[in-house]
Amino acid sequence: MNTPITVPEDLWEGDGEGVITAWLVDDGSEVAQGDLVAEVMVEKAQYEIEAPVSGVLTIAKQEDEVVAKGTPIASLEA
Amino acid sequence: MHPTRDQRLWMYRQMVTSRYLEERIETLYMEGKTPVFNMAKGPIPGEMHLSNGQEPCAAGVCAHLGPEDIVTATHRPHHIAVAKGVDLDAMVAEIFGKATGLAGGRGGHMHLFDERVNFSCSGIIGEGLGPAVGAALSRKMQGKSGVAVAFMGEGAANQGAFHEALNLAAVWQLPVVFVIEDNAWGISVAKQASTAVPRNDSRAAAYGMPGMHVADNDVDGVFAAAGEAIARARDGQGPSLIEIETARLAGHFMGDGEDYRPEGEKAGLEARDPIPRYRRALLEAGLLDAAADAGLVDEAHERVEAAIRFAQDSDFLPAEAALDAVFV
Amino acid sequence: MTTTSTGTRKLTIARAMAEATAQAMREDPTVFVMGEDVGPLGGVFGNTRGLHEEFGSDRVRDTPISETAFIGAAVGAASDGMRPIVELMFVDFFGVCMDAIYNLMAKNTYFSGGRVKVPMVLMTSTGGGYSDAGQHSQCLYATFAHLPGMKVVVPSNAHDAKGLMTAAIRDDNPVVFMYHKALQGMGWLGTEKGATVPVPEEAYSVEIGKAAVAREGRDLTLVSLGAGVHHCLRAAKALEAEGFDAEVVDLRSLVPLDRETVRASVAKTGRLIVVDEDYHSFGVSGEIIASVVEHDHRLKAAPARVAYPDIPIPFAPTMEQWALPDADKIVAAFHQMLRNH
Repeated sequence: MNTPITVPEDLWEGDGEGVITAWLVDDGSEVAQGDLVAEVMVEKAQYEIEAPVSGVLTIAKQEDEVVAKGTPIASLEA
Repeated sequence: MHPTRDQRLWMYRQMVTSRYLEERIETLYMEGKTPVFNMAKGPIPGEMHLSNGQEPCAAGVCAHLGPEDIVTATHRPHHIAVAKGVDLDAMVAEIFGKATGLAGGRGGHMHLFDERVNFSCSGIIGEGLGPAVGAALSRKMQGKSGVAVAFMGEGAANQGAFHEALNLAAVWQLPVVFVIEDNAWGISVAKQASTAVPRNDSRAAAYGMPGMHVADNDVDGVFAAAGEAIARARDGQGPSLIEIETARLAGHFMGDGEDYRPEGEKAGLEARDPIPRYRRALLEAGLLDAAADAGLVDEAHERVEAAIRFAQDSDFLPAEAALDAVFV
Repeated sequence: MTTTSTGTRKLTIARAMAEATAQAMREDPTVFVMGEDVGPLGGVFGNTRGLHEEFGSDRVRDTPISETAFIGAAVGAASDGMRPIVELMFVDFFGVCMDAIYNLMAKNTYFSGGRVKVPMVLMTSTGGGYSDAGQHSQCLYATFAHLPGMKVVVPSNAHDAKGLMTAAIRDDNPVVFMYHKALQGMGWLGTEKGATVPVPEEAYSVEIGKAAVAREGRDLTLVSLGAGVHHCLRAAKALEAEGFDAEVVDLRSLVPLDRETVRASVAKTGRLIVVDEDYHSFGVSGEIIASVVEHDHRLKAAPARVAYPDIPIPFAPTMEQWALPDADKIVAAFHQMLRNH
């Protein structure tokens, strides 16, 4: 089963866009549910993106790409 | 809070010991420094800041302290070190720069550390306050008993460190007591020329802590104020500030011409020397008779002489030991 | 923070510092953190993130803006059985509190003949490149390394940052932990991607006083620290395309300084360029070059340095970027070296 990782709607206040500052696991890695996988920065604040389920990670949005709430940034193949 | 007979005699003994130590240091310091005063010469080179006249501050405060309590002192530390119970042999040996000194001669008279009784001092004005606050924080965090006392001169109350440390101690309600020895002079600058308030204890109000003042270099008065402040600290009620009106009977350091003092000031201070005054008070109160006084004084003198002999008989470390002890 | 099950987990330096600190705090109740905004905010540069949540306000203390008091307090606490980690937010702020650092923290052990220990970590941010001008952009590595009695470490990546942080906390001596803002993984500071690297989950130490060879080579030795290591690695890549093979030495520690690793590298390559974002004169670059040439290596060319000019750091991006070391300047220095010999 393929599950997308999207930027959570409640990750930060307001409707501003953010940027992916770091992927903390490599493309193709196996990650567990709840693992910290990426950091997104909005202005000076940094937010954490966790894996919603366990699976093998396929990165869709690279570091330095701009993302909004709800943007799919990766997927997990269980 | 009134001192008991034993406490009064203990304070008297500390003052007598410190005074005699300084009289001896004064003589030894001048060896090799006459007729030409070269600070590098003699058995005790370097600067020498004597504390004679200020003994009541040390004795009255330290009467409430045990070895586990922390004291940070100043560039003028001898009276406080004596009253805090610093090992006298090792202290005098350090003043002579000997191998048997507290730091093997690396520190000298302004940098005395005796961790066995939690004593340290620093040559920089106001800089003992932060470490005292930190030691108090350490005790509070570890749930260990003990209070910290930071001694300073009145000039330190105009340093940023004073204001930062008082605020921090008050914000965190730490068991620390700040003690100002107001000898009225910062080297050659009079207190009224440097300080915006007549009494620094009023500055305690700015940090929400009690401020107390002790007039006339009165050791029993110091005992009372310190007792209240230290009890409050031990009881978890936070920091206090005490300013003690004391007297520097010597110059800022040895060799000081003291021309800045107004005519007659020195004679007036000497007439109010706190040690003869306390001796008279103890005699009048019947706590001491002439024979007991002589015995106490002799004992104190012999203790000091023994420490001086110990220092004089000790060797210096090899010069290259200077390379050791930078790190542990 | 939870952990990845397989694959290689990477951390930013900010997270690596926080992880090392958290692990030390779990195993040793005497370890605590204090500084400005280190509490719920997690540090302006992210390096105490998550600590307040886990350990609470007693062990992760926000302080007033009173560096003299709280760094002095760290000295007092360290001498009384605690292991404080204290933050000087920007190294540029040392002007308001240097006495607590170099007269107390660095000298109390010596002045006690080695009997008083001062086991504390002073962490402080360095570096510019983002137009914060000359009171918030300096490196000042040499200023601290020059003064005896404190160890000084400068990590260039998250692996070393975690290991050096753990080593610093465990050390019985004061350690100044200087982290470069551009390496922290805070995007708003122009993050250097090369600093975010795989980091083991378990606690480990990187020995203080040991340099690392970040890239092996035989034609030229590039020596640097912190962000400069990444400039060197980029320069080495550029030189590789020209047929030259540069070795990159990452000092990692300034005190103690691993002169042996530098000398061994230069003995092999015969050429030396030192790259330093701290000021040119009286600094790390001069010290490294002296350490090599006083050892009588026969160099193929006079050593060179690419360092920050002896000017306050300017605000305008044109001026600041012109002054900062980068890979192009390193390559140019090497070309100049070849022309001269």
